[in-house]
Amino acid sequence: MTTEVFVQSLVSGLTQGCIYALIGLGFTIIFSVTGIINFAQGEFVMLGGMLSFFLAKSAGLSVFPALIISILIAMLIGAVLYLLAIRTARRASVVSLIIITIGAAIFIRGIAGELWGADTVAPPFFTGNGSLSVLGASIHVQALWIIGTTLAVSIVLHLLFSYTVIGKALKASAMNRTAAGLVGVNTKSMSLIAFTVAAALGALGGVVIAPLSLTSYNVGAMLGLKGFVAASIGGFRSHAVTILGGITLGVVEQVTVALNWGPFKSNYKEAIALVVLLLVLLIRSRRLFEEERAS
Amino acid sequence: MLATFKRHWWSYLAMAAFLLFLILLPTQLLGEKTSILILIGLYSMVTVGLCLLMGYTGQVSLGQAAFFGTGAYLSAILSTRYDLDPWLAMLMAAVATGVFAYIIGYPIFRLRGNYLAMATLGLGIIVWILFKELSQYTGGPDGLGGIPNFSIGGFAFDNKLKRYFLIWSFAVCALLIAQNVVRSRTGRALKAIHGSEAAAMSVGINIAQLKVKIFVLGAVYASLAGSLYAHHLHHISPNSFDFMASVMVITMAAAGGLASIWGAVFGAATITYISQDALVELGKSQPKLAELDVVLYGLILMLVMIFLPKGLFVSLRDAFDSWRQRRARKGPVT
Amino acid sequence: MSSSILETKVLSKAFGGLTAVDKVDLSVEANKITSVIGPNGAGKTTLFNLIAGVYMPSGGEICFQGKPLGKAPPHKRAALGIARTFQNVLLFDNMTALENVMTGQHPRSRYGFFEAALRLPKAHREEETISLKARQYLNLVGLGVYADRNPLSLPLGQQKLLTIARALATEPRLLLLDEPGAGLNVLEKQGLSELIRRIREMGITVVLVEHDMDLVMGIAEWVIVLDSGQKIAEGTASQIQKNKRVIAAYLGDEEAIE
Repeated sequence: MTTEVFVQSLVSGLTQGCIYALIGLGFTIIFSVTGIINFAQGEFVMLGGMLSFFLAKSAGLSVFPALIISILIAMLIGAVLYLLAIRTARRASVVSLIIITIGAAIFIRGIAGELWGADTVAPPFFTGNGSLSVLGASIHVQALWIIGTTLAVSIVLHLLFSYTVIGKALKASAMNRTAAGLVGVNTKSMSLIAFTVAAALGALGGVVIAPLSLTSYNVGAMLGLKGFVAASIGGFRSHAVTILGGITLGVVEQVTVALNWGPFKSNYKEAIALVVLLLVLLIRSRRLFEEERAS
Repeated sequence: MLATFKRHWWSYLAMAAFLLFLILLPTQLLGEKTSILILIGLYSMVTVGLCLLMGYTGQVSLGQAAFFGTGAYLSAILSTRYDLDPWLAMLMAAVATGVFAYIIGYPIFRLRGNYLAMATLGLGIIVWILFKELSQYTGGPDGLGGIPNFSIGGFAFDNKLKRYFLIWSFAVCALLIAQNVVRSRTGRALKAIHGSEAAAMSVGINIAQLKVKIFVLGAVYASLAGSLYAHHLHHISPNSFDFMASVMVITMAAAGGLASIWGAVFGAATITYISQDALVELGKSQPKLAELDVVLYGLILMLVMIFLPKGLFVSLRDAFDSWRQRRARKGPVT
Repeated sequence: MSSSILETKVLSKAFGGLTAVDKVDLSVEANKITSVIGPNGAGKTTLFNLIAGVYMPSGGEICFQGKPLGKAPPHKRAALGIARTFQNVLLFDNMTALENVMTGQHPRSRYGFFEAALRLPKAHREEETISLKARQYLNLVGLGVYADRNPLSLPLGQQKLLTIARALATEPRLLLLDEPGAGLNVLEKQGLSELIRRIREMGITVVLVEHDMDLVMGIAEWVIVLDSGQKIAEGTASQIQKNKRVIAAYLGDEEAIE
């Protein structure tokens, strides 16, 4: 494998990985605040991309308004999901909650399929179809948008969580719900905010990558899974490690595909994320188990 | 023995009625729908294992379709490529699937809740990818065909009615065995785990081992069902064993009732009927609504779990039980 | 010690920076009623969890009937003969009271999956035995009439008795009772004391963690006192009552300061 190909796969990996990172952050925020794994997270990514395409096409909106409205709609859906499905279920068991969010995921996917059909679509690029050349590899302008957005999001989240009242309240809820409740944090609102923010993150990821990698009504599942991998690398706690994990996963995927070595043909690309997932779960299972026992 | 009979007399009656119903169904009542009835029998077997796992251990497996698939593919490959007798192929597939479930069971069940669900999801997808990619053995995305019928001596199960009885014989046996297990010391241990893991351990119950046992049981059931499926349709493809298939099985379990064996049958019947019959009819009149099954599963899952977390069947049964108790309490009028 | 059924040697347990049990050496004599007392946070429940196998020691070891327990998990220890109850009851609310006690027979019965699946006679026979023994234990604690009730329908005092019946059904050599008297009224505590004495007469060693001093002083033949994870005293009930260190531990070192 030549250096060019290697660098190219690094770049593609970084780009893809940023999306996984954004999705992973969504998982992490919801889990740390509510203790729920939102299996519907991937669908928000799908919604972001699909909505921006159809808003641009049928409503004739230009890129950035379409982007913003898509994200807002996704946030609304996230809020509705929380209010109607999660909060109504009250003290549902873990099994029930898992099934509820899975139900929500395929419900959203099904409706998307009904509304928009099964075609693969691509919304317009943010700033056109150009590429840059770096170290012999070409980076698409959209990829720069992806990387830049992820960077911006990380910084904003960090500032939000460290310096604003709401951010600190979210952090407190994440660390210890009961204690947070006792000091006056409205934990129900925090859960609602967590879901809304996660939906926004997912949709943002979807909006920004759809022009590059195309999108259709059923991309949510695999993307969600990969975002979950990123989040589990970060232990559902650390934002920084989640982002790193997502990027690493993206890079590993692309490099393995580029290697095209032996039995690991490109069709197995999807399996890579799953293998990583199982490894992470296995490695972390000891610690997860100990923590459960101690509490 | 007599004591057990007396205690469960109504369930024996119900059982007899059910068997009679099963026998009459394709011959007198729903002849044209025999295919659907066959599918219900198969999915009952796949679902009951999941019901036990989810209902008693409180753990979710999102990869049940993988075992259904290994049973189907192994049996198909062994009987086509290697010319093995279908019975032997089915047996070997079941053993292989059971061993596979046993090996991955212990490490997987060290995980809890969401993590376990994700791990089973991942495994299910990996197995599905293997079905698609190992085309040398599995025929790739187009699947495998030419799968022979079962036969005993000269008697071949070569039409739907014969296979209906074959499959439901298996299904009824599977359900009865599951019921026996639930009513035994093992069943008590399972309920104990569900009640309180810490207390269960304190009375000597090896939780990890039991979880794996139930997982393996469910896997073997699914494998047998998969083999029967393969030798019924004579052609299988990876599409029948993907994530949505696992979701469908979970929907059946949820609709039926997570800790209920007969709930599994109810759930399997309901969901199979909806997807195979109702939606197809709807799709014929309104083609755009043909893909509605996905939306419907999602809706059912959410609604059932939010409002009737014990499942449709179990909730109905509980409601019936409490109505009976209220009537009994009112007592005879003096 | 002549016949000690349980010994801990330099037993320690730390959770991160917090040392809950600190190099505790103790010995429990067989067939006696021993009580472990100490102010809140002294490490009593942690000690129980260590003996029961819920926690693994950070240091030291525990020997049961002369053999080290090592890393044996809780269910193995139940089979070896260590039974326990819980501070927060932990009954199985998805089965009847009798069935709760029947689960206690789990380590004493053999028939497995296969026999159950095919309803073999071995399964039937063992079920009869299990059912019979469970009824006996239920009667022993005085709850025979409630055999078919849901445990949640019983008041707390009787729920606790039920958990004792369940623990007894495992046919233990050593019974660990974690705050059996908590939440009980005076009459119930008397019944509890009687029950514990009867259990001792059955040849079972009883160790109880308890806050109610009257209860402890009434039945304990040996008292071990923990404070901040360390054993600070042990002796007969009357010896302990007069022990200055013990008094100081409970009153918060007032005398020591003076």
